[in-house]
Amino acid sequence: MVALLQVQNLSVGLPFSAPLLDAISFDIAESERVGLVGASGCGKSLTAGTLCGLLRTPLRVLAGSIRLDGTSLTDASPATWRAARGRSVFQIFQSPGTALTPVRRVGTQLAEAAQIAGRDTKAAVSQALDAVALQPDVTGLFPYQLSGGMKQRVLIAMALILRPRLLIADEPTTGLDVLTEHDILTALNTAADETGASVLFISHDLRAVRRIATRTLVMHAGRLVEDADIADLAISKAPAARALATAATALQNPC
Amino acid sequence: MIERHLSLPALRFGLRGGRFGLMMGVALLLGFVVLGLSPLFVDIAPPAQMDLLARLAGPSDTHPLGTDHLGRDVLSRLIHAVPVSLGAAFATMLAILAIALPWGVIAAVAGGRVDMVMMRLADIIMAFPTLVLALAIIGFMGASLQASIIGIAAAWWPSNARMVRALVLSASQRDFVRAAYLSGASRLRVIVRHILPQVLPPLAVIISLETASVLLALSALSFLGIGAQPPTPEWGAMLNQARPFFSQAPHMLLVPGLAVTAAVLALNLIGEGLRDLLDTREPYEW
Amino acid sequence: MLRFILIRLAVAVPTLLGMSVVAFAIVAIAPGDPVMMELRALGVVPKPEDIAALRAEYGLDQPFLLRYLDWLGRAVQLDLGTSIATGRSVVTEIAMRLPATLSLAVSALIGAVLVSVVFGVCALSRNRGVAACMRGLTILLVSIPSFWLALLFIYLFVLTIGWGRLVSDGTWSDLILPALTLGLGAGASLGRVVYERIRAELSEDHIRLAIAKGLAPRRILISHIAPRIVGPLATAWANTFGALLGGVVIVESIFGWPGLGQLILQAIAQRDFPVIQAYLVFMGLIFFTMSILADIVVFFTDPQLRRTLSDD
Ligand SMILES: Nc1ncnc2c1ncn2[C@@H]1O[C@H](COP(=O)(O)OP(=O)(O)OP(=O)(O)O)[C@@H](O)[C@H]1O
Ligand SMILES: [Mg+2]
Repeated sequence: MVALLQVQNLSVGLPFSAPLLDAISFDIAESERVGLVGASGCGKSLTAGTLCGLLRTPLRVLAGSIRLDGTSLTDASPATWRAARGRSVFQIFQSPGTALTPVRRVGTQLAEAAQIAGRDTKAAVSQALDAVALQPDVTGLFPYQLSGGMKQRVLIAMALILRPRLLIADEPTTGLDVLTEHDILTALNTAADETGASVLFISHDLRAVRRIATRTLVMHAGRLVEDADIADLAISKAPAARALATAATALQNPC
Repeated sequence: MIERHLSLPALRFGLRGGRFGLMMGVALLLGFVVLGLSPLFVDIAPPAQMDLLARLAGPSDTHPLGTDHLGRDVLSRLIHAVPVSLGAAFATMLAILAIALPWGVIAAVAGGRVDMVMMRLADIIMAFPTLVLALAIIGFMGASLQASIIGIAAAWWPSNARMVRALVLSASQRDFVRAAYLSGASRLRVIVRHILPQVLPPLAVIISLETASVLLALSALSFLGIGAQPPTPEWGAMLNQARPFFSQAPHMLLVPGLAVTAAVLALNLIGEGLRDLLDTREPYEW
Repeated sequence: MLRFILIRLAVAVPTLLGMSVVAFAIVAIAPGDPVMMELRALGVVPKPEDIAALRAEYGLDQPFLLRYLDWLGRAVQLDLGTSIATGRSVVTEIAMRLPATLSLAVSALIGAVLVSVVFGVCALSRNRGVAACMRGLTILLVSIPSFWLALLFIYLFVLTIGWGRLVSDGTWSDLILPALTLGLGAGASLGRVVYERIRAELSEDHIRLAIAKGLAPRRILISHIAPRIVGPLATAWANTFGALLGGVVIVESIFGWPGLGQLILQAIAQRDFPVIQAYLVFMGLIFFTMSILADIVVFFTDPQLRRTLSDD
């Protein structure tokens, strides 16, 4: 079977300087959930942004190819990217606090997603809000009236409405308390179960990744250094992967 | 593995950010400086020398840009107008800054009630349309170049003071400025060492864009006959005198107008170019 | 809403008072007082005791504050004195010409807003050639003095092609050229604001989400960027209108548009203080009203602001 997402030798960076992402290759199969972990600043968000075609100039793809859902997105035209976004790939961004447009009501922004997905607005929105355990009346609120966790769940609801083939979640639980983290991860799993989407779950916290995925990619300083089961990270050849695994166990066993 | 061509985007990257425009603006302005200084080195007919036999003559060997209705050499008047027109604009901007800088800085640094009162006073002046206020002031002082400089400076300073205040405020909210205060540095020291360096680059943008608008306003006033008075060579005034000879001698209209446009363009290009250089935000591409 | 307007108007009162002080003071401290002006206009060489008598008659020997209050009292009843040149009430003089000036300023503003949107949006085109050209054209148009553009237009359209005419009686067709002249320049400088604002918005996180959703640029512009920038743009429109109120003077005199421009230029030449003062007062009030309208738009388009004011 052909993988849903194929990334080959992807390099991203500024022209004429050392690449920030260096020859990254990985595949994600249909409905597979994969973790992507690594220390802060190693290039996780950059990878996610590249997969959505959201690099800002002067950053650019220097080499390599991206193939998603049967379409090549290497050097794709703006129109191709536009067709892929929302339907083939959607991303929940790292900073939910500023992700929603401040002057539009939450309901309007969700309805917009339903329109893009070509679904019945009312039913899709209420179903999605229900799945992420939000009250239906949040639709009437403006983003500034929501807490960080609520905004994060609104974004997951948006993903549920859009039903992309690949959902990228960039550190969706960072900065949230343990209970909210639990709710968000549950909502994310629900979303993936319901839509059959593949998930690329980005985090620097292996415990959170474990709730979503079994296979995980490990990044270190712009390179992909490991692609293995979470359980096997402790015996990995890559020092960065071993370090992450040790850190996770250390946190789990209170001394 | 597909290697993409790096040369083209790199070239675009080098040219983007208005660097090209900035360079053009600087070149134009230098051109005006050279033009303005040229009477010191080259022999040019005095701007008031009349040749009544060659009135309204088109471009010729003796008068490269033709003559005006009194037979004066247009090129000579154009060149002698450089220090008048540009000088008046820079003098006005200096006057504006002389009020706006201390006003904005004091309001921002003092804060509280002082800030409120100072900004309220500025608001009162700003509540009048700028050019209307300038016209009124000129009306009460009597038409002259000095009056138009004063009128424009009086009408323009409050908005500049507001901008200065905003710049200083945003600069003083930076962490290292707060840290400097906390570590016991004196107010003056913080302003000079930490706030000023941050404020200067955006201020340069404001100054060059504002000088452009001041130059436009001054030449408009001269054109209306209430700024520089004849026989002073000034671009706006030259255009004013050319109006009756519109269809007979279009060259009289073309040249001073081009001069004003080029000078204003130079200042605008410099301002926009500097702004682009300072702007580090990059928009997402849709 | 009503609450906000009331608050805004309450805040406006001190500013209005301040404006009236400025308008009054400009006459009161002007070199050569109105009495001298009037005598000179009559061609009389006055004797000192005549001057003193006249000054007393006009109340000019009173202290500043009393004279100001007296002036203010008459001003709110729309009595701003009589023109030294024509002897008619200045309010009548202004009211006669105000509609022509306002219609020119408003049509130029409408044109400027249209031009600015086109320029601003095209300057953001993905096609770098188009974007660079639009930015260049914008800077060029901002730099061309309106009076020179007016002369060029006259040369081109009136003298060469034969459209329009130079004496106008205030009919709509005579409005086109002056409005175009003013609107192009004002539109270009507004276009800069539109460009800057949209560009700033495009760097924001929420636009990234809108793009990631797969929205088309037009939809992003209309439903995610426009609501955020109408507030600041309304302020810019009000300021542009203020600039146009002054700018019309320049263009009116060239196209012979029968607005306030000719009146004020004459008043400046003849040092007709009451006319100048009334002009300042009227233009100030009109501009001030526009600024308040802009504030209301800002208030309306910011949900957070709306909320804080309706809560307490
Ligand atoms: N526009 C840019 N220009 C230059 N360098 C950039 C740019 N954006 C990101 N980088 C660099 O790319 C690297 C990767 O950044 P990225 O945001 O992907 O990190 P991350 O792994 O997501 O970290 P975190 O866990 O903190 O979110 C960083 O070293 C950063 O400095
Ligand atoms: Mg990140």
